[in-house]
Amino acid sequence: MFGRYKRLWSSPPQRPAYDAVIIGGGLHGLSTAYFLASRHGIRDVAVIEKRYMGFGGSGRNTAIVRANQRTPENLPLYKEALELWPVLTEELDFNLMFYNCGNLNLAHSEAALKAMRLQVASAQFHGIDIRMVGPKECKELVPILDISNRLRYPIFGGMFHPAGGILRHDAVVWGMARGASKLGVHIHQGTEVTGIGVQNGRVVHVDTDKGRIQTRRVLNAAGGYSADIAFRMLGMKLPISVLTIQAMVTQPLKPILHHVVSSGMYHCYANQTLKGEIATGAHMDPWPTYTTGTTARYIKHQAEALGELMPCLRGVKFMRSWSGLADMTPDMAPIMDGNEPVRGYYMDCGWGYFGFKSSCVTGKYMAQYMATEECPQILKPFALKRFEEHRLMGETAALVEYSPDN
Amino acid sequence: MSRLTNLPTLRIRPGTPISFRYGKKLCEGVEGDTIATALYASGTRIFSRSLKYHRPRGLYGLEGECSNTFMRVDGVPNVPAEKTFLRPGMRVVPQVGPGGLRWDVLAFMDKMSWAMPAGFYYRMFHRPAALWPRVIPFIRRAAGKGVLDADFELPGRCDEIYVNSDICVIGGGPSGMAAALAAAEKGFRVILLEARPWLGGSWDHRISLREDGTPLFESAAQLARQVEESPLVRVFRHTAVAGVYPERVVAAFQTGGPSDSFRERYVEVRSESLVVATGCTERPLLFEHNERPGVMQAGCAHRLAHTWGILPGRRVVFSVGDDLGLEGALDLAELGVEVPCVADVRWSGQDAGLLARMREKKIPFFKGWTASRSMGRKTVKGVELKSTNGVHGRRFPCDVLVASAGQTPVTGPLAVAGARLVHDDRTNFFLPGNLPPGMHAAGRMLGYMAPEAMELSGRLAGLGAVLDFGGRTMDVVEEMRETEARLGRPPEGCQFVMAPVKGKKTFVCFDEDTTVRNVNQAMEMGLDVPELIKRWTAAGTGPGQGGIPGHNLPLLVSHSRASPDEDPRPTTTRPPLVPVLMGTYGGRNHDMCKRTPVHALQEAAGGHMERVGVWMRARRFGTEDHVRKEVANVRSNVGLLDSSTLGKFRLHGPDALKVLQRVYVSDLSTLREGRVRYSAMCTEDACVLDDGVVVKRGEEDYYFTTSSARSGATAEWIHYHARYENWDYDLVNLTDAFGVINLAGPRAREVLEKMTREDVSGSAFPFSGYRELMVGGSIPVRAMRLGFVGELSYELHVPSSLMQSLWEMLEEAGRPLGIQNFGLEAQNILRLEKGHVILGSESEQRTTLHDLGLGFLWSRKKNDGRMVGLPALQRTEHQEGRLKLVGFKMTDPAHQVPRDGSIIADRKIWGHVCTARYSDALGHPIGFALVKEPFCVMGARLPIYEDGCQGRLIHGQVIPTPFYDAGGERMKK
Ligand SMILES: Cc1cc2nc3c(=O)[nH]c(=O)nc-3n(C[C@H](O)[C@H](O)[C@H](O)COP(=O)(O)OP(=O)(O)OC[C@H]3O[C@@H](n4cnc5c(N)ncnc54)[C@H](O)[C@@H]3O)c2cc1C
Repeated sequence: MFGRYKRLWSSPPQRPAYDAVIIGGGLHGLSTAYFLASRHGIRDVAVIEKRYMGFGGSGRNTAIVRANQRTPENLPLYKEALELWPVLTEELDFNLMFYNCGNLNLAHSEAALKAMRLQVASAQFHGIDIRMVGPKECKELVPILDISNRLRYPIFGGMFHPAGGILRHDAVVWGMARGASKLGVHIHQGTEVTGIGVQNGRVVHVDTDKGRIQTRRVLNAAGGYSADIAFRMLGMKLPISVLTIQAMVTQPLKPILHHVVSSGMYHCYANQTLKGEIATGAHMDPWPTYTTGTTARYIKHQAEALGELMPCLRGVKFMRSWSGLADMTPDMAPIMDGNEPVRGYYMDCGWGYFGFKSSCVTGKYMAQYMATEECPQILKPFALKRFEEHRLMGETAALVEYSPDN
Repeated sequence: MSRLTNLPTLRIRPGTPISFRYGKKLCEGVEGDTIATALYASGTRIFSRSLKYHRPRGLYGLEGECSNTFMRVDGVPNVPAEKTFLRPGMRVVPQVGPGGLRWDVLAFMDKMSWAMPAGFYYRMFHRPAALWPRVIPFIRRAAGKGVLDADFELPGRCDEIYVNSDICVIGGGPSGMAAALAAAEKGFRVILLEARPWLGGSWDHRISLREDGTPLFESAAQLARQVEESPLVRVFRHTAVAGVYPERVVAAFQTGGPSDSFRERYVEVRSESLVVATGCTERPLLFEHNERPGVMQAGCAHRLAHTWGILPGRRVVFSVGDDLGLEGALDLAELGVEVPCVADVRWSGQDAGLLARMREKKIPFFKGWTASRSMGRKTVKGVELKSTNGVHGRRFPCDVLVASAGQTPVTGPLAVAGARLVHDDRTNFFLPGNLPPGMHAAGRMLGYMAPEAMELSGRLAGLGAVLDFGGRTMDVVEEMRETEARLGRPPEGCQFVMAPVKGKKTFVCFDEDTTVRNVNQAMEMGLDVPELIKRWTAAGTGPGQGGIPGHNLPLLVSHSRASPDEDPRPTTTRPPLVPVLMGTYGGRNHDMCKRTPVHALQEAAGGHMERVGVWMRARRFGTEDHVRKEVANVRSNVGLLDSSTLGKFRLHGPDALKVLQRVYVSDLSTLREGRVRYSAMCTEDACVLDDGVVVKRGEEDYYFTTSSARSGATAEWIHYHARYENWDYDLVNLTDAFGVINLAGPRAREVLEKMTREDVSGSAFPFSGYRELMVGGSIPVRAMRLGFVGELSYELHVPSSLMQSLWEMLEEAGRPLGIQNFGLEAQNILRLEKGHVILGSESEQRTTLHDLGLGFLWSRKKNDGRMVGLPALQRTEHQEGRLKLVGFKMTDPAHQVPRDGSIIADRKIWGHVCTARYSDALGHPIGFALVKEPFCVMGARLPIYEDGCQGRLIHGQVIPTPFYDAGGERMKK
């Protein structure tokens, strides 16, 4: 039925030169490689990963996808991303397990309702399926919610975004890696990039612990490590703080939660995976620890929040918690840029805790950027120089509190 | 089945029956039974059906390492029956699919395994695209086994406790107890955590004799008595460790017994030094059908008899890998169980005494043999044994097969604490290669199996923990040296051996039905490190949390030599180490909200109290239309608003002014005593961070307010930006020490005049003035004349303890003048009419001082060149394309008020409505919006798109602010 167990991707020896080198075997790197090969015929590409595919955020996230963004710069990008998952599933011939269950965001104050209305109006204006809902409808969508006044922050209403949902993050990593590899992209696991060579303002090679690679194009898609790479290898200081973000799952249950539910006030979100686990996460640790360790505080907070919002979950057991690194910019929007100040050096980072849902579409546009050397219109607002000009993007309405120094 | 009643090691009280419900049946156990032991004793052999193949599953172990025995107990799903003690009236429901335990209608799935290789989901159901959404409901229904009711409420009280000690010992076995005693002997306080309800670890059920003739269980009891008698050791029984975090924070949870006030309680222990002595568990033996009901671990069979008085079967074949297994076989034989034979995968290394006893009892013994297959349909009927090289084989009928590959350490607490686990060839254990500072390991988990060695190893760790404190060390060091010398090396462990089979039905992970063949498939596909195999095959991701596969998977992978990992590498262990209820983690979930000094008064006055940040505040004092009355009363009479939530600070010292100049945009060197200055703070991007007023109370002594939400953050902000300056100043947070009353309205002065003898006339106490008054005879008040709501108003700051009195006196004095409460919503409308902004409401993260039209606050002349945000203020002043704050009114005849958050959109989005309200004073809706050029110019027509409007726009027009009393006569009067 399945034939032999063919390798998902091959491991050819590293060549001394590639047309393009991608640092990081996470989704952003893999997706860019895939689109370079599939859309631009650039197949002489190496993806260099220091550990294994999906070792970074791509293998640790909770795989929530949605397009209910706040600003006109972001909306089209995420909308396209949502539409791309089913297409990619067929194209890659790999079940990415897109479970289009819809997202319900809860509001616990007038102010939150106002913020949501802005998001809803903006998304609707861009033709995205989303609407405001009252507390009663919240309860209809998620019967286990407590909409009474017992809550310390009672539910005022929410926004429901039927177009969103979850995928299986590992499936996306493997599917992309397999797809890229089939088209001739080289995947090098267990290989670390140690330097980027620049001559006359242009990238000329990349050094790895397995040897030097001549190349004129390199993409920094190293997630939580990208700022470190930019600084160590090119002396570029990116306005990125690296924070730890945790997530956890409960033991599997029969279906009980049919949408992604999230609450900014309670700092938590939860959904039930196809395996039946309630997967849940929240905000980042308040300060950098430079580890992927978990904390006692966090899992407790999560239990308090979920147990209050959905009281029956107090009878469910957590079975695993983990964490990953979030590369956060001051405005919580990514940096996608290239050829500045070094020609041939591209970056796609600062994706923090929200870079899963966009990975397919940014890969598509970053590939276009790298292939044509022209920045696609849709990526222009994400250039690094916005920070120099004090033009922050408006993805988060409120002040960002995670670190006083940026 | 009759129970053994006369063993000294029993933990049950035969003759004290407890009845409970099991499915539809009424069952009985005895006091001390767990659900699983009671069921086993009454003949239950099939406890569940497996997830994927619906294979029958039985009692395999007693440590909750797989979901075989998970049941729904009193509504809680996934409760491990073997670790849950019986309570009268318990309702236990097995977790099974259609058809029930014995006749699962999906049992045919077991024959379909060829169609479900590892990771088959990834390669199925996705073509055509329309198929997958249809498959999802089936997949969801098939997944998971626990059932939870939507209206379930966890009964009982969940508690929490935070304790500390000098040393914390995890594990109350002989080594852990020895460690605790060693530390206590030296005068240190110890907390000892034990997962079982009793101390004793691996000894409490064993009757083997020590060299001095004491049986092990007796030895364990002696140690337990010493521990209990030591005043320095605090023991938490029935307390399972869930996580070990940096700085030796141990999170555990305790199960309450009948006499405890809690159902479960979260226990968090902090200590200076940590000893982990969690012992061993058994490594599952890999052979065909290694999980058929009737196959069980050696410790399980041994304990069933010695702890619970249950003989596991009539004819029991043993296929084991260590001496404990042999000991179990002998003990069971002693109790009358027929043991047709014992196979041991080891070729050598068995204890001579045990072998002699085996010969004495005439039990056939096969060295270098292993079970290769269990036989039977639903339960075990026999076993095929083979020599490990596959050459010889024999079959034996039996009703229980004890199968074990020997011991394997319980390293969870070490792993989650950050110890690197390294494979040790001699013991075949993963041993800690390095331990984080202040951590020690001891006992069986290090491979020490002999009773003396276990105690010595515990003692050594206890002394090591003592050493972490420094002081009194010489004797301790000396003693440690001696102990270490006596301890020697641990014995050889059982090597990894797999039965000579293909592994089609050899289960590595029971919860996920992952077989050896699945693991091989994953490796063929290039997923060659255990971490990836785990993900691809799901092995170890089930509710047993890797208890079964965790030990075998890395060994199997390394054994297959298909992995680049030359040495076996364990997969990452993640907390919680044991599943913990959310209810338990949540604990009491105490709500820490703040109430102002007049909370009760406002509530009594009909205040609709809401949580705003950490505070409770009154939104309005009646129904929603009451707000209009509140507004009108302020405009025409006088109102009272509780503003106690404002951040309030005293900043004083020789360098206080320098600090202010650093963070505020205004030049505060020109601030005179007796005056109030409104100002703002910006970020490095010139974005407005906070606003408030500053008062100079004397030389080098300032008092200032911040917005309610930022009182904590502002203190941090100030210290942060002064951190390199070595300035001499003091910042005192007075937020909770002072309450604030805003007395506002044209008749406010009349009220105040009634209450103080001092001159508060317009000339003596003008707008923007600051006075310290005695009000009501003896209440000291810091009064400011401000105009946030646009009327004559006084902001009265008063010591919190006196605030209620002052409030009551003001109400009393104002009653003839029509004084009334007003709430946040009325304030919101009043200030909107006045054109005053509320940060967060009219500003976003990216909104600069200039964007808000507050650029005039910025003083260019002041002489702190390092003022926060200075370069950005300069650079952004004339920047184009920014969202600017504008005031607007609605021009449509319908006077529809746009909802807050509506967008300004005309083919693309140009901005959004921040706040809009109907103004009674003006007779039309007004609002604030943040918009880009060309919509931010005076007179521009704003097309407003509301959520759900389906393209029907409403219109506003940009007009100047303030909307109300533009000249400010009313507030300055
Ligand atoms: C707990 C958690 C939950 C999340 N939930 C969501 C969610 O629900 N929705 C969502 O959209 N996003 C979510 N995210 C965010 C998302 O996972 C990330 O933004 C995304 O995976 C980033 O992908 P990436 O490819 O940029 O980086 P990564 O996946 O981190 O990949 C970077 C790779 O670079 C490799 N690398 C680093 N340095 C080098 C070097 N010198 N040489 C070679 N290789 C190197 C790393 O090993 C790593 O594999 C979550 C993140 C976490 C941690």
